[in-house]
Amino acid sequence: MADTRLKTIGELLARQGILIAFAIFLIGFAVFSDRFMTPENLATVIRQAAIIGVMAVGVTVVVIGGNLDLSVGSMLSFSTVLVVDLHDKIGPELAIVVMLGATLVLGAVNGFLVGVARLNSLIVTLGMLSAIQGLTLIYTGGKNVDILDQETTWFAIFGRGYVAGIATPIVMFLGLALFMHVVMAYTPFGRRVYAVGGNPTAAVFSGIRRSRLVFSTYLISALTTGIAALILGSRVMGSQNNVGQGYELLVLAGVILGGTSLLGGSGNILKTVIGVLILGFIQNGLLLMGYPYYAQWLVTWVVIILAVWLDIAAKRGRLLSPIA
Amino acid sequence: MTLKLAAALVATTALIGASGVAQAETYKIGITQNNVGVDSYQTTYEKAFIAAAEENENVEAVVLDAGGDVARQIAQIQDLIQQNVDAIIIWPTNGKAVVPAVRKAHQAGIPVIVTNSNIAEEGFDFIASFSGPDNITQGARSAELMCEALDGKGQIVQISGQPGYTTAIERAKGFEDRLPEVCPDVELMETQPGDWNREKSQRVMESFLVKYDTIDGVYAGDDNMGVGALNAAKAAGRAGDIAFVGATNFAVGYEAMARGEYYGSIYQSPVDDAEAALKTALDVLEGKDVPDLNYFDTPKITKANMDEFDKPVF
Repeated sequence: MADTRLKTIGELLARQGILIAFAIFLIGFAVFSDRFMTPENLATVIRQAAIIGVMAVGVTVVVIGGNLDLSVGSMLSFSTVLVVDLHDKIGPELAIVVMLGATLVLGAVNGFLVGVARLNSLIVTLGMLSAIQGLTLIYTGGKNVDILDQETTWFAIFGRGYVAGIATPIVMFLGLALFMHVVMAYTPFGRRVYAVGGNPTAAVFSGIRRSRLVFSTYLISALTTGIAALILGSRVMGSQNNVGQGYELLVLAGVILGGTSLLGGSGNILKTVIGVLILGFIQNGLLLMGYPYYAQWLVTWVVIILAVWLDIAAKRGRLLSPIA
Repeated sequence: MTLKLAAALVATTALIGASGVAQAETYKIGITQNNVGVDSYQTTYEKAFIAAAEENENVEAVVLDAGGDVARQIAQIQDLIQQNVDAIIIWPTNGKAVVPAVRKAHQAGIPVIVTNSNIAEEGFDFIASFSGPDNITQGARSAELMCEALDGKGQIVQISGQPGYTTAIERAKGFEDRLPEVCPDVELMETQPGDWNREKSQRVMESFLVKYDTIDGVYAGDDNMGVGALNAAKAAGRAGDIAFVGATNFAVGYEAMARGEYYGSIYQSPVDDAEAALKTALDVLEGKDVPDLNYFDTPKITKANMDEFDKPVF
């Protein structure tokens, strides 16, 4: 009896642990800083988290499909540099088209190597991480790129604009997350991604074309990275060559915090959103409390370990492994 | 071109010793840079260095880049020692880790000139000279600019460069030491690192704007970060109330200054930096009296005097 009760509590924690953690963080920061719970601050945090968040939506799909994508950080650098640089050369419309096209090509390379050639996704995307960084540096020769006419270009809408009174990055982030959530939860495509990630062999035997499916998950993460580049480029109106450096880990941290299993086959886009917001609130809350933002890395690590541990502990019904 | 044969002979015999072949005409100068291509400053620096070396027919330059990797930089110094160059210019990837390699060069009789950012103090005995900007003075000048902009009264925040990076530490120190001297009524409320990254700086500033109802000034460790802070303040509709002061004037900072949105900065040209390094190396080789710390001037720039300066290329 007691054992089952423990299990139900454990299950509750595992299922909703992320929401509970989220609530605890919000309350904690609200207690320590009177500025934290203001609407302006909450909007600021969600707007800041939008870039990581948009990327995390795509990466969640890749991870549910049983793979990793570590290349999104340098892909973000590349795409941002490209769209900002081309903005003044060929105009914003064409720049966006070219950037999204080029980003999809990079995603297709990932997708081909992992999906079709069946190479290990960690190795492929880790390699792409440095390859794309190199590509970016070759493209610019190291120069920062800037948009000169920042005041009148309509490109400003993505990072600085408002839709119905809400900052565009927030609308894009939450809109995309909702859309992807519906796709993953309610469409045959989504179910196939879960199937391939959960049990590839069984999925193939039930007639799912695994190669094509994995390929498309990488196109999705490339597309979301391209969209994040729009927000970032427009927000900063310029770009450094290494602007997305390290973002892959923040993105992955958000995905893991959201409870998506790195083994594939399970995960939830909306919980990724919560995971990303937790990261954003940690950063903002610590800054408001006067800590240097490096403190967030430490805190983030602790939170991730707790989240993963809770998840495992709930699954096996005890904190430590029964096998010594 | 202005090379004196006698000086050259003195230098080569004195410094290269028995192993050196008398090269009265040309100096072979090796440079190992920090990380070319990672930012516009370093890219421009390399171009300017190569151009300056080519212009001087007495110089044969071996131009290397460590790519930000200390181990590679140490290997490059060893290679340059093997090649028996006349002088080594180093832009340290890490001020401490390169000291043993620099000592080796020193022991081999090759003068080492440090450029842009200095090596750690324990290495000072092994170098001929440091050529670069005086970051402490830059910080102090920024403090003076801030003081001017605020008429001596106000509350400010600081966005500093990457922690641990000498330039970041020195600029912050120069600023923080000078500010109370010139403006005791200007209060520095908080400092947060912006990592030389415009987007990060923008994020930090957004949090500052939430946290503080009154911000009269922002000092950023370089204009790239300063413009990020300006972006954030503009988005919050508070840019008009805030004076922005930076350092290392970037093209975007120059333009914002022309629009009257950005108060002032410190003009530091990578071309001057590169040319000063080469000149210091040549002066050392020619046996001239070179100061240990050979700073090139980095003046204040504001809207009032900006026509005297070319728009930065980065």
